[in-house]
This record gives sequence, structure tokens and C-alpha cells, in this order.
Amino acid sequence: MAQKVMIEPVTRIEGHAKVSIILGDDGRVERARLHVNEFRGFEQFCRGRMFFEMPQITPRICGICPVSHHLAAAKAADAIIGVTPTHTASLLRELMHMGQVVQSHSMHFFELAGPDLLLGFDADPAKRNVVGLIEQQPEIALKGVMLRKFGQSIIAALGQKRVHPEFAVAGGVNSALTIEARDTIRRDLAARIEDAQAGIAIAKAWLNEHQDYADTFASFPCGYLGTVAEDGTLDLYQGKLRLIDCYGNRLEEFDPADYLDYIGERVEDWTYLKFPYYLKLGWPGGVYRVGPLARLNMCSGIATPLAHEEWRQWQQVNGGKPVQGTLYYHWARMVETLYALERTAQILEDPDVMSNDLYVPSDQITRRGVGCLEAPRGTLIHDYRTDPDGKLIDVNLIIATGHNNWAMSRSVEEVAKAYVDGTRLTEGMLNRVEAAIRAHDPCLSCSTHAVGQMPLEVTLLRGDGEVVERVVRG
Amino acid sequence: MCLAVPTMLTEKREDHGTVELAGVSREVSLLLVPEAQVGDYLLVHAGYGIAVLDQGEAQRTLSLLNEIASASLDT
Repeated sequence: MAQKVMIEPVTRIEGHAKVSIILGDDGRVERARLHVNEFRGFEQFCRGRMFFEMPQITPRICGICPVSHHLAAAKAADAIIGVTPTHTASLLRELMHMGQVVQSHSMHFFELAGPDLLLGFDADPAKRNVVGLIEQQPEIALKGVMLRKFGQSIIAALGQKRVHPEFAVAGGVNSALTIEARDTIRRDLAARIEDAQAGIAIAKAWLNEHQDYADTFASFPCGYLGTVAEDGTLDLYQGKLRLIDCYGNRLEEFDPADYLDYIGERVEDWTYLKFPYYLKLGWPGGVYRVGPLARLNMCSGIATPLAHEEWRQWQQVNGGKPVQGTLYYHWARMVETLYALERTAQILEDPDVMSNDLYVPSDQITRRGVGCLEAPRGTLIHDYRTDPDGKLIDVNLIIATGHNNWAMSRSVEEVAKAYVDGTRLTEGMLNRVEAAIRAHDPCLSCSTHAVGQMPLEVTLLRGDGEVVERVVRG
Repeated sequence: MCLAVPTMLTEKREDHGTVELAGVSREVSLLLVPEAQVGDYLLVHAGYGIAVLDQGEAQRTLSLLNEIASASLDT
């Protein structure tokens, strides 16, 4: 039955993270669920539009990392017209992507995670936010501001319009890098690399000091998915998708265009967001995570020297096996920030980066295109099918928050098992539920408002559905 | 699906402010967008203004979102 779904934009700045914690017959926590009731239907909305509009439309919907959607859409559009962009176009797109990674990761680390780590989970909620952090450690909050600004300046230099770039188009990009822009970016690189290193030092010191905690907090086995270059090193812009299991064994390495042969999407009736999983292991055996933690786990190294050295240390955390503790996301996020800065320097040194060879024209319509890259939060897949004229007949987007959907519920479950005694929901437990969800940096409406505190609605239920307790915060 | 909806800055107090959309107001940090002025449209993430949009940009985004919101969808 066709039903009219009305979801006003305003609902997206409201809403709580809705969590159910379900008790077993023995009164202990059995499982937990994070309910995502975000608006859906974007894919249907895109049908009937022309494929080349997608690089402009998708960043407006997903404004938190607009560049990631802009570029994934452009890559899918390249495939639809059967074009491989020039080396210069790929370099410039990747440069813009590095700007997005630096901007998004540094904001998360310094402004969102920083207060949790530096002020403590049990700190007064009124202070456990960036305001408290600025009061206590202003120079740290400032590093986040500077890094974010730097990432933004790269995006601005290429995208002209700062917020919604109109830069990448099917077949390439529409403007070259200017000498002034290149020199401006270069000028600040060394200082920003130091800021990123300071962030890494903070993350490592914290994890060191709280190692037992970090090793057990929301720690569980699962697969890890991310993108690698030909030589197996981390690549955030292009390459093959690599999936490993919880022991670090390589399960698959495949062309993102073939993702449907490897990834299925499970639908559950209690949440709108689908659950991607590895088809050969089925559901739920084939669940996996994406994002910084997953990427450092699955790659065979990093192609820039400073970040590679960090990766070597990462490898030692769990004796060469994947790191499972969810709080390790924060360290991984800063290692990737360092990589993105070093990679920016590499791109700017490439002789092709200043070329005007920006665009490959085509009058072909292949009718199918998959665009994939590593968005800050994880693997992002845009899959379009068109009619012979290029009008979209099917659109499938798998976003990072979707890939991590199972893991976020599982993280909450682990926290609940450790901190719920069966009948009571305490403030410290709520803070930890929030931290477990937030470590995955989800792009959900519950994470888009409220400084310092995620609005939460946590319901404790018995197996028969009877509510034991419900707490609403924020 | 993630989201970033333009909201209008209605009040500014040093590095904090109030944004509003359709009668719903929120406190936000302006730490990352010190240039924001009352009347500007902001994108907000996790309680932080993360970008200032010009009027045209904001209106284009809002009308696109409204278009999606009122589309008839099969559920």
C-alpha cells in the first residue's frame, strides 16, 4: 500500500537516540537495540532525475560530509558515461577529499570525543563538553579549530562555494588548482601536522592510562571493511574493498562495482536503517564495521611515513590482530588525520596536480555506475542505474552509519551488560551508552544537536515486553 | 541517512547562539563558525555550527528537503 510519509526537515533537528535494552529470563541484559527512525525515501526521490544531477543533490541531503557524497556521486557518474578521469582530476578530487577527512575527523576528536576523554565519563554533564574543555585546556580545543579550518580551506580552494561544492562532474572536475591556493595550503601544512600529532599523543596517552578499560569497553569480534591501494596500503579515495575477519584473516578483496556479490542488506522491523553484512557468512555471522578503526585493522600499512609509524604501533596493541575496543576509534581517527595531511603534501608535489587536463568528455550512457570511497565515517557506496537517456531508475546508497548499524547496537549491548544491574539505569551508564554510539561518529539526527550531550531515550524491557524503566535525557 | 538542515541563527552570545527552524530552537556552539551573524543560516552537527550558508544556498537546500518530505513514498 502506498502511504504518504511526511517528514519535515524540522524533525531532523529534534529526536533522541532511542535505545532498548532487553533483559533475559534471568534478569540480566540479553541484547540492546539502537532504533534509527530517520527519514527514508531519498533513493525513491532521486528516481526520474538525471544522473549528472546527483553530485549536486546528494551533498545537500548529507550536509555533514558533503564532499564525500559529492565525490562518490561523481565517481558513479564517471562509470555511467564510461570514463576514467584524468590523473589530474583524480588528484584534485582526492585533495578535496583529504580536506573533508581532516575537517571531519578533527572536529570529532577535539570537539566531541575530547571532553569525554580529557574530562572523564563521570564528569558533571554540564562541564563534560567543549566549554569545559576550553576552560581547562584551551590550547587543545584550539588545535581542533585550526585543523577544521585548514580542511575547510582546501575544500573552499577547490569548490569555490564553500559548503556545497560544485567541483566534480561526470568525467572529471571543472576547475584547476591555482598556484596561490596550492601555496596557501602548503604554507600551513607543517603546523597542522603538529596539531594532528598532538591529537595522537592525547589519544595514546589516554588509551595507555586506561588500557584495561579501553580493551573491554564495547569490545567485541566482527569483520572489518575498508579500501586499499594496489599494494594493500590504506587508501581513502580509490582502490579495492578489503574485508577481514575478527582474527585478521583476509576474507575478500574486490572491486567496489561488484559489491552486490559480497554485501547483503538485512531489514529489521524495529529500525529504518538497514544492516549490511557479508553474504557468504550470512546474517548475523557476516557483520562487520567500517571507519577509522576498521581501516587501520584491515590495511597492510600506510603509504606516508609518519602515519605508517603510528600504524606499526597500532598493530602491536593486539599482537598483530585487529583491535576490537570501540574507544580505539579515537586514536585511529587521528592517525588518519595525520595520513590525510601527509597525503595532501604528496598530492601537491605531484607534477600533474597543476595541469589543466581536467575532463574527459563522453556521449556514452552505460546505464550503471557504482561510486565508492572512504568517507570520514567509513565506506560510502553510491549505486545508480539509468535508462538509455541517463534518467535514474534505481538508486542505492550504503552509508558508513549503515555499515556500522549492527556495531552500534552491539556496542550499546556490551556497555549495558557491564553497567546495568538489571533494574536501574544510572547517569554514568547513560554517558557510556552515549560514548559507545558516538565513537562510531554516526550521522543521525540525535547526533546533530545538543552541545556535549546526546539526547537519549533508553528503555529497559523484560523479555515479554514489559517496561521496567525508561529514562529520557536531553 | 545523515542530515544537515539549515537553521537560522536568531541570537548570538560570544561563542554561543540560538538557531531556529520552524519554531524549534536549539542552543549551538559557534566556536567553529565565529564569523556567523544573526540572520545567517547554519548547518549544525552535534551541537556545533559547522558551516554558514548564504541565503540562496540555504533556500535551495530547504526547498529540496521539503520536496522530499512531501513526496509520496511506498513504504
